Amino acid sequence: MRWLFSFLLLWLSTIVTALSSSGNRLLVVLEESSEKDKYSQFWGDLESRGFKIHFDSPKTAELSLFHLGNRAYDHVLLLPPKSKAYGPALTPALLLDFMKAKGNILVGLSGSSAVPSGLVSLLLELDIQLPADRNSIVVDHFNHDSSASEEHDILLVSPPKTLRSDVKSYFGSKSGTKIAVPRAVGQVLGASSPLLLPILRASGTSYSTNPKEETVDDLFASGEQISLVSAHQARNSARLTVLGSTELLQDAWFGEKYGNREFSKQVSAWTFKELGVLKVGRLQHHLNEPAEKGRFNETAYPGSQLNPTIYRIKNDVTYTIELSEYTYDHYTPLTVPTTDALQLEFSMLSPFHRLNLKPISQTANSTLFSTSFTLPDQHGIFNFRVNYKRPFLTVVDEKREVTVRHFAHDEWPRSWRISGAWVWIAGIWITVAGWVAFVAVWLWSEPAKKVGAKKLQ
Amino acid sequence: MAPRNRQSTPATPSLGSTTQSTSTPSRPSKSTSRSNSANATVGEAQQIIQGVWNNYLERTPQRVKLIDTFLGFLVVVAVLQFVYCIIVGNYPFNAFLSGFSATVGQFVLTCSLRMQTNPENHAEFKSISDERAFADYVFGSLLLHFFCVNFIN
Repeated sequence: MRWLFSFLLLWLSTIVTALSSSGNRLLVVLEESSEKDKYSQFWGDLESRGFKIHFDSPKTAELSLFHLGNRAYDHVLLLPPKSKAYGPALTPALLLDFMKAKGNILVGLSGSSAVPSGLVSLLLELDIQLPADRNSIVVDHFNHDSSASEEHDILLVSPPKTLRSDVKSYFGSKSGTKIAVPRAVGQVLGASSPLLLPILRASGTSYSTNPKEETVDDLFASGEQISLVSAHQARNSARLTVLGSTELLQDAWFGEKYGNREFSKQVSAWTFKELGVLKVGRLQHHLNEPAEKGRFNETAYPGSQLNPTIYRIKNDVTYTIELSEYTYDHYTPLTVPTTDALQLEFSMLSPFHRLNLKPISQTANSTLFSTSFTLPDQHGIFNFRVNYKRPFLTVVDEKREVTVRHFAHDEWPRSWRISGAWVWIAGIWITVAGWVAFVAVWLWSEPAKKVGAKKLQ
Repeated sequence: MAPRNRQSTPATPSLGSTTQSTSTPSRPSKSTSRSNSANATVGEAQQIIQGVWNNYLERTPQRVKLIDTFLGFLVVVAVLQFVYCIIVGNYPFNAFLSGFSATVGQFVLTCSLRMQTNPENHAEFKSISDERAFADYVFGSLLLHFFCVNFIN
């Protein structure tokens, strides 16, 4: 019977096939509960990945993102309200506090209702610009879905390719089925922010316009300038994704014809920290030199002393770091793209060394990266720093501080070990030998006769 | 003392002879020096050096000559070290300094021993006996050797 019980336990554990790395409490904010049914497949997908979803209206009195100083939820999904604002529990300041507490936010916008002004200012603070005209949507006269033959406001966008050759892509699709984006609010990302990334860009033939107006006087944006789904990852790795069109999550577009289901899974997985999450495991540095004989203060094997606080200049040092990447429900070894490099900086005020960390071994869950180098000929307080910030990956910034001291007075090489000094050593000892011979001869010689004695004669 | 000696030795035979005989040999010697001036000056220089050297050998006491040989030896060692430094370079600079200053310092100490124990300087160093001078010399030399060995590490 015991094996049956353990088998049952094992079977139960496989039901939860995915899990977010930062918690599974998801708050979905929607104003009308009738809207909930339109997204039933999306909720089902989320729940099958292990999320505990709590639905609430923004006007509920008890709604609060925080409880006793901690986050009450790990993730928030904001669906567009019909009214002008989200309510007192979801002010922009509170949403920012939620992000500061490392909570993730997935914001849905819709062209059929005006974006709340609080949200516009929040996004502007993150340098995501929305069109000034509140009723603007993105329109494409060439690549639209057949069901919107008159308005042309249901865009068909192909799944995004990799952002750069050295960046891992989380939003691509093998089949390449187009994603339907109905009534989207286009966003323009500020160029100066390194924290912003476009996940899905509009195609080159689209533009942003108010459907009620005939002509376009002030073009907000057009073509690939428009970002339909944008991502913002803060420095503490909290993620905020803006979905230009919440309707792409609806059941109507989750069919075989469109790539929406897979895309929604990828976007929600990335935002809620199931994808693109890096974890640092073991981090160690140690002296790579054999023990010196005759120094009674040294331990027998200095290499076994991990992470010493003090080194000497020109020591040989090895640094090792263990990194894993989280994929849906487990940690996998991190593979750095071939055109990219994971680097170690050994720096005081600026890096003295910047070295590529090479993968030396892999465990079931992680890769070990390591490098060995010689400390610079400069004493001071140094930092071992691994600073790995890449698009769509959480931030890895690990610093370890060490002191680097000068040679002790008895650590300098002795004179006889320096071949250039042998001549001078010989000079000294020849002088000494000659002096000893002189003293010996002097002591055995007769004293000089005085001048006075001569005169007497 | 040496020039006085030279003048006295030709003076002693001239005392026996007449003044005329003394003047006559001097005139031909003067005329010969004027006619062969170049050869004579070189010859004179050589004679002077030879005279100095002979005088030194005869007149200096044995102990002083011993000091002088040691000084000569030190100069040779110093020159050898310096020539090596010029040719190859002074890479461990502290080594060059300690090796060279061993010879130079020893030279200075030996010079001071020579001054204090030379019988001709007895008037200036009445209060310092030879043994006291030598004891000071040994002490100073040992300090110098200790410093040099320490500085070269």
